[in-house]
Amino acid sequence: MTSHSPETREALQAAARWLALVDSGAASEGDLQRLEQWRTSSTLHEHAWQKALLLRQRFSALPGALAMATLDRPDSGRRALLKQALGVAALLPAAWLASRELPLEAWAADMHTAVGERRQVLLSDGTFVQLNTDSAVDIDLGARRLTLLRGEVAVRLPGNLSLTLQVPYGQVALDAGEVCLRLVDQACRVSVLKGTANLQPRQGPALLLQAGQQASLQVAGVGPVTGLDAWPLGWREGVLRLEDRPLGELLHELRRYRPGVLRWAPELEALRVTGTFRLDDTDRVLALLAASLPLQVHTRTRYWVSLAAQENRA
Amino acid sequence: MIDAAPPPEHSLPALYREHRGWLETWLRRRMGNAWDAADLSQDTFLRILASAQPLADIREPRAYLLTVGKRLLSNFHQRRSLEQAYLDALAQLPEQHVPSPEQRWLLLETLQALDELLDGLKAPVRKAFLWSQLEGLGYAEIGKRLGVCERSVKRYMAQAYEHCLLAEL
Repeated sequence: MTSHSPETREALQAAARWLALVDSGAASEGDLQRLEQWRTSSTLHEHAWQKALLLRQRFSALPGALAMATLDRPDSGRRALLKQALGVAALLPAAWLASRELPLEAWAADMHTAVGERRQVLLSDGTFVQLNTDSAVDIDLGARRLTLLRGEVAVRLPGNLSLTLQVPYGQVALDAGEVCLRLVDQACRVSVLKGTANLQPRQGPALLLQAGQQASLQVAGVGPVTGLDAWPLGWREGVLRLEDRPLGELLHELRRYRPGVLRWAPELEALRVTGTFRLDDTDRVLALLAASLPLQVHTRTRYWVSLAAQENRA
Repeated sequence: MIDAAPPPEHSLPALYREHRGWLETWLRRRMGNAWDAADLSQDTFLRILASAQPLADIREPRAYLLTVGKRLLSNFHQRRSLEQAYLDALAQLPEQHVPSPEQRWLLLETLQALDELLDGLKAPVRKAFLWSQLEGLGYAEIGKRLGVCERSVKRYMAQAYEHCLLAEL
């Protein structure tokens, strides 16, 4: 930064003003002549001008709508509001208040988890939010909206409140109830634990889901309504309770909670498994499986584990 | 706390040994998870390792670490929100307009670079600039949307150009 002379900076500042004038479409013949003179009067000027044009070129080469949606995303004001809603004291240490670095404190409001991590928070309006592994949500209590950006979230609302849950495929309106939303491939699995939820796909008719039901919300509609698949929802208490399920289902689920690679021999998937498994120690879960089923755990590193069928079976 | 003489040892390993745990705790409180905090703490030290500033010049290591760490933290969040906005926007595109996977990554990188460039602009300035550059709106229309006169729009545009050009120095 220091290697650039004040002249360079001045030339760039002048180029910026010139370009803003040219872009306005209101530059007169005289203006353009003066620009020409300015450019030719010094190589520094001409260089600055070329840089300015290049900058503009970088923007004009972008696909407009996509770039606009990305670069013009909602600013931190909304998040500052959330911080207020959450209650600063609940989330941030006292020292935080003393330092007013805005971009940081604005961001601190987002809730997200890493792989293997689970978090929960009680919002100031009494809404209870639980975030599963590798997940992220954005909460705007002012607009009564929670946006699930990644992973899985469970929301429990107190009696007199409603909330809109936004996902990429549509939205779910909840009145005083409890739901769990999980983003899966090109869809969001919605499970209603209490109350009712209205599923509105981006395109297509809405559907009212009752407690004890689940369905898949996709862009073009709502998938078939079935009874709750209860065991995967056990994450909210940190345990998965399975009764006579295929091992494949459990392994696919466990994989979400482990950083790194978890692989298994396909023939293992059909084994049946029953048991209660704690999510905060998936190494131990694997050890338990190895103890009760005909399989072996090969740990190459903590982050690379594969399961094989037991070799010395009779 | 007041320590007029610089501490005797000023090597990076010493800095790392003494302050890494503290920095990670600081970051974890702000990021809410240990993995990202550990990553970012590593990045902070790497950044210092790569920086031109002689370590011996650092009077208050923790203040210095925080300065670097905060910048990285802010970048981190900014990147993450940008990625999310980008993915959301992609998801809304009609199928035939969705770029190929390779283009998608290239575009994301470009957008990240431009986003960093625009960082620090005041909201109306940024909006004016994006409307002009990406949507081709005239100054009159931008002024109407922002509720300011055309002259202000021109000033905003000059500010934005200047900001980006100087940021690239």
